[in-house]
Amino acid sequence: MKHYILILLAAVVLLPSCMNEPVSEPDTHEGNFQALWKIIDTRYCYLDYKQINWDSIYTVYHQQLSTATNEVKFFDLMGSMLGELKDGHVNLYSEFDISRYWKWFQDYPSNFSLSLLDSARYLGKNYRIAGGLHYNKIDNGKIGYIYYSSFSDAFSDNNMAYVLSSFSDCHALIIDVRDNGGGSLDYSKQLASYFFPTTTVTGYIRHKTGDGHSDFSSPVEIITPANATIQWPRPVAILTNRMSFSATNDFVNRMTQAPKAIIVGDRTGGGGALPLSSELPNGWLVRFSSSPMYNKAMENTEFGIAPTISVALSAADEAKGIDTIIERAIVALK
Amino acid sequence: MKKPFLIALAFLFSLVLLAQKTDESTYLLTTKSNTFGYSNLSLIDPYLSPLTYSGTGLQYEHESRRFLSVTNTNISMQHKLDFELGYLLNPAQTSNMVYMDVNYDFGMHYHFRPMKGLVLLAGGSWDVDFGYKEVFRNVNNPGNVDLSTNLNLSGVAMYDIPLRKRTLRLTLSVETPVFGWMYVPLAGASYYEMFELGNLSNISHISTIVNRRGINPKLTLDIPLRYSVWRVGLKYQRLQYSANDMIFDRKELSFLIGTTFDMIGFGGRKHPAPKNFISTNE
Repeated sequence: MKHYILILLAAVVLLPSCMNEPVSEPDTHEGNFQALWKIIDTRYCYLDYKQINWDSIYTVYHQQLSTATNEVKFFDLMGSMLGELKDGHVNLYSEFDISRYWKWFQDYPSNFSLSLLDSARYLGKNYRIAGGLHYNKIDNGKIGYIYYSSFSDAFSDNNMAYVLSSFSDCHALIIDVRDNGGGSLDYSKQLASYFFPTTTVTGYIRHKTGDGHSDFSSPVEIITPANATIQWPRPVAILTNRMSFSATNDFVNRMTQAPKAIIVGDRTGGGGALPLSSELPNGWLVRFSSSPMYNKAMENTEFGIAPTISVALSAADEAKGIDTIIERAIVALK
Repeated sequence: MKKPFLIALAFLFSLVLLAQKTDESTYLLTTKSNTFGYSNLSLIDPYLSPLTYSGTGLQYEHESRRFLSVTNTNISMQHKLDFELGYLLNPAQTSNMVYMDVNYDFGMHYHFRPMKGLVLLAGGSWDVDFGYKEVFRNVNNPGNVDLSTNLNLSGVAMYDIPLRKRTLRLTLSVETPVFGWMYVPLAGASYYEMFELGNLSNISHISTIVNRRGINPKLTLDIPLRYSVWRVGLKYQRLQYSANDMIFDRKELSFLIGTTFDMIGFGGRKHPAPKNFISTNE
């Protein structure tokens, strides 16, 4: 019986010692730099696609570590390093700032004016709101118009049923997702489902499976289901600009496959990957593109989706209270 | 004077009769214990964060044990149900994690009695574990599920320490997983891809001592008081498992306090309560 007790005690003492103690980088500028560089090196999905030499970026920024004499300077240096990725889905979050790359829309015309939308010609002042959907009839009541400003704003099938029934005498519909910076992919799928008579494969997604820059899983189908009870069988135009990003990019990608849909406006801003997050030893959060999404032809959507009809907002029209993109869509829907 | 004497005699006689009747019937007692614990907890979940989160937890554990039958007092069966809630922070205290775990464990043990006052139990158990961790600030990977079922080796040593007024019972129990199944998410994939789009490949893993190692020694002391037996103890839990290029780790040290008691259960057609037991069902 002594053996039994010895075995019991040995198990208690020895088994935990057989387990590996996890190691992480120390909470120093060097350690945080190494941790951040490695997270991007092993988990960011577009290094090869964007032809970014991440090793040389290591060299360039590691040399500058000594210049980061305080937390703010160190943060700015790390933010600049992440800026090399030119990705709107990449951010570094600290207690005092959020690093961001916004050139994907700042370097382009906005093609959107909220004051134009508020005019009586379009949404006006007496538009209705169903969930996150703002709607009214335009073009003398012939076209239904929905402005959806964020895919984070919820709406239900019930909301949409009311919206579409109020447009029952309209021959076409416009869904304006300009300046919609994204949100939930569930709402993207839900909104698209009203325009698909049959369930359709509208894209693919992959995720990183290893540390190599091109180590990806097999593509998984992204399916847009046909909504069983609510359908809009008439033409629909989706209005886009460079600020149509992330989940909005996904919605536009889905709608390129919808049978009676056209995309009008500017190229979308992209953000074609699902972002995930990780942490540095100092507690800063880093968000990064992780799972690339593709269109039906397995083309990356990171750099946006081209419209069917490319139109810019004309300053002359704007001065006259006319939204060039909405007007072009009205013409195209006739 | 005669009358009280006769009544007292009748009372004593009836007690003797009752004792005899009780002696004739043998009942299996179930030893139950309910303990509450306060834990120091440390978790690594690489799906959520590469950092070690540490904090505190509150737990409740219910344990019951009884012999298989009145004729077999060498083999006992044990049920355990654990609930735990934890609140943890990353090392820089910039992010928090909420942790919840439920574990059910069924075990059977053979009892050895090598000497007076010492009982050794050796056997195995089967457990089902469900846990959930949430790091609120994460983006698209805010939560992760722990789901596993395991066959475990299990051992218990119980030693009675006789004191002048009471006998204390010291118990050391240990359990370690040997073989089972576990769910581990795909590293780098979102729950959207796994469960909304149905990419469930490689989330199901057979676990052995190669990829899942753990031990949970628990040392308790049962202290009989006037009308109850109180239990105090310490429990250390260490679990490490790996799959999909990730190593998950959990360390926990808990202080336990609770009570333990013996009870008997009656019910059904074959096991009705004897007439000298009073039930609210009557």
